[in-house]
Amino acid sequence: MTECNRDIDCRSAVQKLWDYLDEELTPERMDEVRRHLERCGDCLPHHEYGRVFLAALATARQTDARAPDALRRRVMDSLRAAGFST
Amino acid sequence: MDERGRAEGQPPPSPAAGTNNEDERLVPQMTASANAAREDDLRFEAEALPYIDDVYRFALSLTRDAADADDVVQETFLRAYRSWHTFQPGSDARRWLFTITRNVFLRSRERERRHVDLEDGDLEALTSFAAGTDHARDGSDQILSRIDLGPALQRALNELDEPFKSAVVLVDLEDQSYEAASEILGVPIGTVRSRLFRGRRILQEKLMTYARDAGFTTAQRGQRGSKDD
Repeated sequence: MTECNRDIDCRSAVQKLWDYLDEELTPERMDEVRRHLERCGDCLPHHEYGRVFLAALATARQTDARAPDALRRRVMDSLRAAGFST
Repeated sequence: MDERGRAEGQPPPSPAAGTNNEDERLVPQMTASANAAREDDLRFEAEALPYIDDVYRFALSLTRDAADADDVVQETFLRAYRSWHTFQPGSDARRWLFTITRNVFLRSRERERRHVDLEDGDLEALTSFAAGTDHARDGSDQILSRIDLGPALQRALNELDEPFKSAVVLVDLEDQSYEAASEILGVPIGTVRSRLFRGRRILQEKLMTYARDAGFTTAQRGQRGSKDD
């Protein structure tokens, strides 16, 4: 990893990269990292690597998973047994 | 029953009349109590039960097994119902249910529980991207965008231990913020970061192992080698 000697150095940028990709930094910090990535050819591949990895991971979310009817009945039965009255 | 009705048609007060009067005072109290319970149930039905699909999906992500997920969901809603009085009206019911779901899951997997709390998220981030540099060097990072990672990711997630799995599932699959994950997991945000980044690094390593086993990087090295030759 090289030092770019710009607004923030490479080490700081990479330390913040997950937070940056998760949009968890303050606006000022987001700008710092963004500016660094725009200028640093060493760190940009890290960003791309993280971005692609997170995109792949997000696809593992089972968005179409719905609680089966049998489970809904089971939940309602157990709630009624506990006093649920509606 | 009013006084006029008693005067006109009812027998005179008996020695047990005091008990009857107490009963009459208790009846409205019991009715009020029943009404309050009924209102609680209606609120539970309106505010908690609609999240059954979300809870099921979260449970499925944690357990990676439909039968286990069913058990976790049932227990989650039972506990939620029993502790509904502790729910702050107007707060995030989904987040509250996720907290219970995760606790139920952990209790069901007590033996697998790991107490590995690394506090240094920055170090985890550096390590994670340093590994990425190594993969970039041999070209294996490109497989992330070239191959269908679905089966490998599912397997890697199945194998991911707690407490890393919960952090990854909440933030990366359920799109929760660090703050929300912190609340659900009951740990500081710094701990969420370190668990999340460590979990991601473990997943990356597993994916790279999968890629190597599947011959992706070997093939690429071979191609490079033949070019160099």
